[in-house]
Amino acid sequence: MTRLADIVVEDALLADACAGREPAQRALYEALAPATASLIRRLVGHRALAEDIFQDTMMIFFQRLPEFRCEAPLGAWLRRIAVSRCLMYLRSPWQRARLCLEPVDCGVAAEVAALITPGYTGELIDLERALATLTPTARAVVWMYEVEGYSHEEIAREFGRSVSFSKSQLARAHRRLHAWFVSAEQRPTCSVI
Amino acid sequence: MQRDLGQPAAFARLLRSLPDEALPPYGWREFQQRAGRRPLARTSRYGTGALAAVTAIAAGIVAVSLRVDQHAQQAQWSQQASRAVLAAREPPDTRGGAANARPGADVPFGAARTEALERWLASLPDNPPLVQVGPRAAVTGLEDRLAEVDDLLSAERMDQARPTHLLALQQERRLLVSSLAQVRYAEELVDESR
Repeated sequence: MTRLADIVVEDALLADACAGREPAQRALYEALAPATASLIRRLVGHRALAEDIFQDTMMIFFQRLPEFRCEAPLGAWLRRIAVSRCLMYLRSPWQRARLCLEPVDCGVAAEVAALITPGYTGELIDLERALATLTPTARAVVWMYEVEGYSHEEIAREFGRSVSFSKSQLARAHRRLHAWFVSAEQRPTCSVI
Repeated sequence: MQRDLGQPAAFARLLRSLPDEALPPYGWREFQQRAGRRPLARTSRYGTGALAAVTAIAAGIVAVSLRVDQHAQQAQWSQQASRAVLAAREPPDTRGGAANARPGADVPFGAARTEALERWLASLPDNPPLVQVGPRAAVTGLEDRLAEVDDLLSAERMDQARPTHLLALQQERRLLVSSLAQVRYAEELVDESR
């Protein structure tokens, strides 16, 4: 999994893109968009909603690009925009209402099915299934901490919550995943058909 | 192998090995077309600033007019109506007469009372329509602390800890639920009085 914050962009390309030259902006889009889309899909889950948030994120990115001061890597700056858009969505009353109305099993099955590609091994399919059993907030915390390398303090700041919120969400998610994998030993294992 | 996946370190390693999406959902041309068709969900910084200023001024005017109204018009019918509405929204322990007039009144913290308070809390909307920053921060803090105590309780139960530890945690939990109910009740009162 390529971390958005690790993507390096050449200074000349960045300068051209900041100056509004379209070929450079296109090259930036092609370099950064796949990792951005992956991150948003992971945090939001729902494909159509993820597309909407991706569009917003990239629009904000290009709109604010001239203000970029190179104080952090460009990927980290874009990641911050993407994460804040995703969390804004996860906190919205609309999202909460949607979660209450949707049957949990249908949502999980659809999310897992959408994510799995022919490159997946049985182990990774199990991992996707386990992840899909977490609440969106817990999944976002797990992803930000384990994959994106956020600290508990940074997660707390992004969510507007306390550090203990981040720690307890992560601890609970780990316990839940552990329980899922232990109980999965009694089920037949997955295999790619 | 699956048992290993339940361990945080193995799980994190596997998470990082998940494949990327090879392509963005759509290409540059499509992105530009969509950008042309759809304005940003969020307005520009200046737009947001202006909107925030207008909202703050409007909220101030409404607050002042409400305060003036409150003193000028305290008709009997409105008092009765709001009392009736509030009675339906009070937490369970506040319906017991003068001695139990507030959620924080000195009543014994029983498990049944905590359960009743939790049911009442669950029946409240997640996002009250009018929220002040102070109470909201208090609610968030209390909810975080409750989650922490719940985690500790589960861990203690799994480790078969000493009963005194369990008792202390349960006592803390009851106090937290009670405090949370008081803050939420205060929010409801403020909401009703507007």
